This record gives sequence, C-alpha cells and structure tokens, in this order.
Amino acid sequence: MRAMGLTRDAIQRRRAFVGLTADDLTEIAAAKPAVQSTVDQHVDAFFGYLANIPEARGVMQNREALGLARQLKRAHLMAMVEGEYGEAYVEQRLKMAQLYSQVGLELAVFLGAYNELLHSLQSVTGEHFPSLCKVAFFDLGVVTDVLVYERERVIRIQSEAIRELSTPVLQIRDRLLLLPIIGVVDTHRAHLIMQNLLAEVRAKRAKVVVMDVTGVATIDSKVANHLLQTVAAARLMGAEVVVTGISAEVAQSLVALGIDLGKVTAIGDLQGGLEDAERMLEDD
Amino acid sequence: MSELKIQIEREIDIIAARQAGRQMAGQLGFSATDQTLIATAISEVARNILIYAQRGEIQLEQIADGTRTGIQVVAADEGPGIENTDLALRDGYSTKNSLGLGLPGARRLMDDFTLASELGHGTRVTMKKWRR
Amino acid sequence: MPVPILKQGDTLIASIVAALSDEDLLQFRDDLAQKIGNVRARGVVIDVTALDVLDSFATRTLRGIAYTAKLRGAETVIVGIQPEVAYTLVQLGLTFEGVSTSLDLEEGLALLAAKKQARK
Repeated sequence: MRAMGLTRDAIQRRRAFVGLTADDLTEIAAAKPAVQSTVDQHVDAFFGYLANIPEARGVMQNREALGLARQLKRAHLMAMVEGEYGEAYVEQRLKMAQLYSQVGLELAVFLGAYNELLHSLQSVTGEHFPSLCKVAFFDLGVVTDVLVYERERVIRIQSEAIRELSTPVLQIRDRLLLLPIIGVVDTHRAHLIMQNLLAEVRAKRAKVVVMDVTGVATIDSKVANHLLQTVAAARLMGAEVVVTGISAEVAQSLVALGIDLGKVTAIGDLQGGLEDAERMLEDD
Repeated sequence: MSELKIQIEREIDIIAARQAGRQMAGQLGFSATDQTLIATAISEVARNILIYAQRGEIQLEQIADGTRTGIQVVAADEGPGIENTDLALRDGYSTKNSLGLGLPGARRLMDDFTLASELGHGTRVTMKKWRR
Repeated sequence: MPVPILKQGDTLIASIVAALSDEDLLQFRDDLAQKIGNVRARGVVIDVTALDVLDSFATRTLRGIAYTAKLRGAETVIVGIQPEVAYTLVQLGLTFEGVSTSLDLEEGLALLAAKKQARK
C-alpha cells in the first residue's frame, strides 16, 4: 500500500474527493440490514454478469481464483455498509484488485460487472442508495489505481529487459567488436553498457572496439563523459576504442562544453570507423 | 550475518576488511562489479585510518530502506581528526606526502557518503551502497 | 622474494598473485630494479590478473615501479586488469598515465616486441 502512496492521509483525501459526509454514514447505516441480509444475491449478480462475458474467462474458469474472488466480494459487500472506510477497508479492496490483475480481468469488463452490482444494490437500498454510491466510487478509485499500477509495473520490468538487450556487443571479426548504442543513455544504462563491454573485451580478447553513437538521442556533457570513461576503461584492458557517429555539430558543442575528446579517435561515420579499426588491427 | 566489525591496526587488516566487505556484498546480492566497488572503497578508507590514526575500525552492516537492500560501511577512528573536512573531500588534497584520493575516491564509488570529524577526537566515515 | 620474477629473452615477467603488503611491494620494486640491471632487460610485464582490487595505493605503487624500471632502461606493461577492476579505476578517476596496459601476458609480450621493433 505504501508503494502506491495509499497512506492514511491519502485515503482521507479520497473520501473527501467523493464527498462522503456524516449524513451519508447515517444513510448507509440505515441501508446496512437490507444489504447484509441479501449479500449473496449481489455477489451472484456480479459474477453472473461476468459469466456472460467471454473476456472474463480468466477469472470464471479458474476455480480457485473464482472461489477466492467470491469470498472476497462477499466480505467486501459486508464491509461496504459498516461505515469504516480507512486503511483496513482499502487493504481489502487492494487484495481484490490484485487478484483481478493476476487473473487478467480487464478494467472495462470489471466496470461492466460492477455496474450490474450497483443495480442489484440499488434495488434493496432505495432512497439510501446515493450515499452508498459514494462509497462505490471510492472503491472504484482504489481498484482502478491498482490495476493501472500493476500494468505499469509489468511495463517497467519489460522496458528494463529491453534496455539491457538493446545494447548488444557484436563481434565483427577476430579481435574487433562493434557496440552500436541506440536511444536514451542515462547514467544507469551507461554503466551497464560499460560493464557489459568490458566483460566482452575479455571474453573475445578484443583489441579494437568501434562504439557507434549515431543512434544516441542526445549527446550532452554527461553522456560524453560516460563515453570517455568507457574509452579509458577499455584501454586499461588493452583495447582501443574508436567512437563513430559524432556529427561535426555535436563535436563542436562538446568542445565548447570543455569536453576533451582529444585521446578519443572520433570518426564521423560508422563505415569510416570500421575501416580505421581494421587498419589498426593490421598494423600489429 | 548482518553486522561485522574489523579492527584496523596493520596492513593485512585492510585486506581482511575489504574481503569481508566483498563477501557480505555478495551475500546481499550485489553484482560482481558492485562488489569490487565496495571492496575498493573499503580499502581506501581503511588505509586512511592506518595513515592518519594508526588504528580504527571498519563496521559493515546490512541496511534496508523501504523496498531497497544495501550495505553500510563505517570507518571509525579516534585519531587526530580532520581540521577541514571540505578540503579533505577535495580531489588530490592531503597533508601527508602521498597524494590523497582516499576520501574523494571512496565517495565516488558509493551512493551515500558522510564524513564527521572532530579535531583531537576522531573521524567517522559512513558510506552506503544500494542494490539496484 | 615476494613476487617471483621470470626471465624470457630480454623481458622480465612478474605475476602478482595476491594483495601484497607495502613492504612486499617495496621489496618487489627493489628486486625488479636489480634484476633489470643484472640481465639488461629491455621489457617488464607485470601481471595483475589475480588482483580483485586495485586501490589508489596499489595503482600509485605500480606506476612508481614502472618509473623505476624506465630509469633502468626497461619498458613496462601492466596486464590482466579485470573488467570490474578497470571499471572501478575509471570511476575512481585513476590512471596508469604513461604506463602501457594490455589484456594479458601474450598481448603484453607482443606489445613490448612491437615497441622494440619501432625503436629500431
């Protein structure tokens, strides 16, 4: 809960967002007997609706998940009319939402079933319903945030994996490695690239590395310093680094920033860089 | 083992301290590169203890902060202390013959770094590295 | 002798197998200086493959040893710096300014041979 920012204060703010007042709590207390005595009817309404939607197969065909979901839904409905909407209540909603996320229940499908649930509740609460509806929207706020958070977590993990894969070190020929860098290079990625390259220098016994930065989004002083560090480290392992893909404009701006590319062999294009590298190897 | 202390009185203690640091870092799941960074930082501050205070202690501890796991290294001594901590943290500065680099170097290798020193009472360097 | 020094032609090869004490390093420097003179060595290869940490002290000392060797007429190559160590040295901002570095013993010997050739 903490990772999602659901602190006591944040929960209080959420209650304020839906405008939950003391009067509402009175209304809800009045609706409580009716709701609690018909709770199974409402649970059936929710899951009965999902049973008719093919996209909800994930939860409906998973017996264990369905059993757990029904249990949690029942407990939730009982708690919904108790009048306590603090951390414990939110924790309960979180568990439900995480279960939905795990079985792949889509938000749009969930909302359809939730609407059905609200109709069912309205039929037994009558004039007290508007107040209960506020709690329903409070619930929806939490559930949607959890589903979004879970989806973003998966994306974060995947993009991390892509980042790592996206800087392969290629062996062009004996003793010659090519490192094409594409995209945004932040400090973390720069360090990963460097560590990976140095390991490859040892593994492939490279004498020359052509590091092409044509595809790097922005080459500012930070990135330039990372490049210089990579060159220095490779040199400690006996490998020379030829940097290609630094345009004349970028070279000039780096000089203006005081970055000394002096010891770095910087060539305009990749082709020229590879030729230079081949020459370096032949010279031995 | 989540806490360890190594007395620094002789040179071989520096090696013991950095090996202990490497081992703990390894157990905490740090990468090989990070283990080397941590061991090297320990070597720098441990050597500083020997040079400036003759004796002291390296304390290693596992730390946690919400969802992160890390290692904390404290280099403590009761030596003469550092008069100007800002100056000591500047690259290349040292009052002894050999070129410094102990403190600024260690700081560059670790994520968090604090230096507390009192003339005549001693020095305490606290460094942390977090596992990514 | 803390660091064994082997002779191969007019090259001396020294492998540092474990972290040495200050005393051992000074002893090594003196042994090396003497041997360079005795056999008229023109090249020195110092292999640090086994060192998992190269701190500022070790780096300075190795630079000093290379300088001493040069005074005696021998070119030094340091070989075997591990990837993690190379990375750390660069983060520390340390260099082996003026001292050649190669991947391993084979490359180090090749470099010395090439330099000798160039001098002719």
